[in-house]
Amino acid sequence: MGLALLLGVFGGCVVIGIPVAFAMGVAAAAAFWYEGFPLLITFQRSVSGISVFSLLAIPFFVFAGELMLHGGIAARLVRFASALVGHIRGGLASVNIFSSMLFGGISGSAVADISALGSILIPVMKERGYRPDYAVNVTVTSSIAGIVIPPSHNMIIFAVAAGGGLSISQLFLAGVLPGILMCICLAVAAYIIAIKHNYPAEQFPGWGEVARTSLAAIPGLVTAVIIVGGVLSGIFTVTESGAFGAIYALLLTFFVYRTLDWNGFKTAVVQAVRTTAMVMVLIGFASSFAYLLALYQVPEKLGDFMLGISESKFAILLMINLMLLVLGMIMDMAALILICTPIFLPIVKSLGMEPEQFGIMLLVNLGLGLCTPPVGTCLFVGCAVGRIRIEETLKSIWPFYLAILFALILVTYVPAVSLFLPSLLG
Amino acid sequence: MQDYPEWIVRGERILDGLSKLCVFVASCALVVLVATFGWLVFGRYVLNATPTWVEQLALLLVCYIAYLGAAAGVHERTHLGVTLFRDMMGPKVSAYLKLFNDIVLAAFGGLMAVASLELFQFGWSTLLPMLNIPESFRTLSALLCGGLVCIFAGFRALFRLALMMRGQTYYEEEAV
Amino acid sequence: KDWRGWNIHVEDYPVSHGMEAFMAEVTEKTGGELKGKVFHSGVLGSQPDAIEQLRLGIIDFGVFSLGPMGQAVPATNVVSLPFIFKSVPQMYEIMDGEGGEALGKALEEKGIVALGYYDAGARSFYNSIKPINAPADVAGMKVRVMNNDLFVGMIEAMGGNATPMAFAEVYQSIKTGVVDGAENNPPSYESTSHFEVAQYYSMSQHLIIPECLCMAKKTFDALTPEQQEVVREAGRNSTALQRDLWQKREMASMEIVKAGGVTVNEIADKSAFQAAMAPVYETFLADNPDMVELVDLFRNAE
Ligand code: NA
Ligand code: NA
Repeated sequence: MGLALLLGVFGGCVVIGIPVAFAMGVAAAAAFWYEGFPLLITFQRSVSGISVFSLLAIPFFVFAGELMLHGGIAARLVRFASALVGHIRGGLASVNIFSSMLFGGISGSAVADISALGSILIPVMKERGYRPDYAVNVTVTSSIAGIVIPPSHNMIIFAVAAGGGLSISQLFLAGVLPGILMCICLAVAAYIIAIKHNYPAEQFPGWGEVARTSLAAIPGLVTAVIIVGGVLSGIFTVTESGAFGAIYALLLTFFVYRTLDWNGFKTAVVQAVRTTAMVMVLIGFASSFAYLLALYQVPEKLGDFMLGISESKFAILLMINLMLLVLGMIMDMAALILICTPIFLPIVKSLGMEPEQFGIMLLVNLGLGLCTPPVGTCLFVGCAVGRIRIEETLKSIWPFYLAILFALILVTYVPAVSLFLPSLLG
Repeated sequence: MQDYPEWIVRGERILDGLSKLCVFVASCALVVLVATFGWLVFGRYVLNATPTWVEQLALLLVCYIAYLGAAAGVHERTHLGVTLFRDMMGPKVSAYLKLFNDIVLAAFGGLMAVASLELFQFGWSTLLPMLNIPESFRTLSALLCGGLVCIFAGFRALFRLALMMRGQTYYEEEAV
Repeated sequence: KDWRGWNIHVEDYPVSHGMEAFMAEVTEKTGGELKGKVFHSGVLGSQPDAIEQLRLGIIDFGVFSLGPMGQAVPATNVVSLPFIFKSVPQMYEIMDGEGGEALGKALEEKGIVALGYYDAGARSFYNSIKPINAPADVAGMKVRVMNNDLFVGMIEAMGGNATPMAFAEVYQSIKTGVVDGAENNPPSYESTSHFEVAQYYSMSQHLIIPECLCMAKKTFDALTPEQQEVVREAGRNSTALQRDLWQKREMASMEIVKAGGVTVNEIADKSAFQAAMAPVYETFLADNPDMVELVDLFRNAE
């Protein structure tokens, strides 16, 4: 009964448009009231949910990403990608995907990726005769590769939701190959469509230009090296590396590139605060929510239920993926990571799946949800940047969905895709 | 917005200012947060004396970034929500739903403020490790957030209602 | 209503078995009138949150380390003083006697009823560089400690670089050299796999911090005197059981880490370490003049 109240109030609040974070808070408060708990427990859980050391990396990564966006690092990455892969058929699509791999690899935020790269690339693609829906589809779907390519603040949210026992650097390593795999799948899909529509290839500018643009892009890429390399080599902890990524991006764009002025800096700080606050308050109220899920023993019960349907690992993973896909369509990523991890992780662990592999599967799956209606932040931002209606993109986006689904199947059923690198370098 | 009653225009302006103040304080907290981490690593490697207060101070600062930013987010409508179903209802029902949402948010903000005040009092005798200040300084961020959410959503509900009764529609800013 | 029990440890741990046994005994002896469930693995929050919840009567019982308990109940800080107990058996004796009573009184003032003091072993240093035999060996070492001025002071008194750090970051940090080592009891050292990356375990046994089986005063006061007696007895029995399980677990853990290639060194004479702790005691007593008597009660016990 309490559980029904919790889920019912939450669902009701979400449907009438109350922000998801507050919907969780309201639902948790209602359930605590029903259970006869002092209502202050809702807020104690929320405050404690935010004051978690690992989560400090989130403001740092987000801030670094904003600095790069407003400081011209993104534009340099696009120029480099364009020189390197622009001459393939439908070249700008490959440029788009490759840039996402590079930029998403640094910022870890799909939305930052779309607004940074989309606003540069979508107009150019349209100008060269690509259909606008194609340009938006490529931008949107490739941006989610950045969620699994390290560093990624969503991975940190996952590590926290998993109970804090996971090594974040192992998780980072686990994301590298799946991220590249996703990009390859998307590039293949984009290439096939490009041939069908007879999209142009760019002129190969020569190795001199490749070298020149790569030189300009390297200092920006070093941000990723600082963050990931700093952690793997033992100079920093993950959290410290995030702070240093931000400090480095600031120094680089302000003193070296000289592309960041005072206004750009202010915009970057304010945007970072907005995003951080949005994510953190979600995490806070999700921990009130999770407390109740634990109290009602939802994970155990759902686990028993699923194992009751089938004991085959194949079938259970399929079921979990389907559930996540449906949830991913109607809810946003951070909230779902926080709610679903404590529920599904024990189940897959009992089937012998490593938590790192599950994390990547979860992120890829929910990443797809970011590109689907009715709740698809990436899709919305992409359509806003590309100035087209959502319905238009949906008519032609399915090959890209298929590409990501294919990557998801590989990640789910082939452990080595995620675990090869951690076992090699861990 | 020009044909709104004077008090609503002025009220919106005050709320805008309050929200900007929240974002400003949170922004300063973010800059300090990054700087203290620079100091942490400097202390560990160069001074060989790790500043032991950084971690706990950071956890305190992040609460203020989160809660003040979240309160401003209520005013600026930057929180993630599912507006699809509401938008399908047509403008009339949608307007009532928005009013209802604001009332729910305001009530929740009020509850958050009252409950956090209790936590604030309760935590006064418990100290934050390494900083040795009362735990209440942490819950203060939630207390402020609750109060601000109540103010932002409450006044918006009031403005909506007043305009509805005059037959006008509330000016809705699209989320950035 | 059903009691809710808070536990930070995983389901298969001496503390967890102790709590389950406590609850089972209470249920059985009250003929099912009092029943409840233990929530393991910290799903109901971290220790500071759980202490708050216990005082509010949201959770009914739990096992808390007296280390972080000091933030809420300052008197319990006394067991966080390095070398305050001479050995684990002496700790049992003091905590079952006058010392435990004194702390129980302080806890009760904050709405917490202490039912028994569980064993959490003795904490020793481990690191990835060399065996520690004297305080000078710690000098210059980056050692992760828990968030507490006393532990920071303890490392600094030996000339080390005390580094508070989130527990989850410790493994990777030792492995990559962000810190050189940390300190903990053998079961934690083993179950966190820290022994894989820090292969020197030096039996300094500098901290013996018991855990406390506690009950919410709100819940306890609502019981009949007969039920209260049942609860107290179950507390004593579960304490005996837990201490026994802990000793076995500790031995098993030592076997595992030794098989994992760890170099364990005994420190026969700890007097140099004890002497180095003088400034820690001085600072503590200067900051807490009201606790001189309590500290003496523990320090001067035979
Ligand atoms: Na990334
Ligand atoms: Na892209």
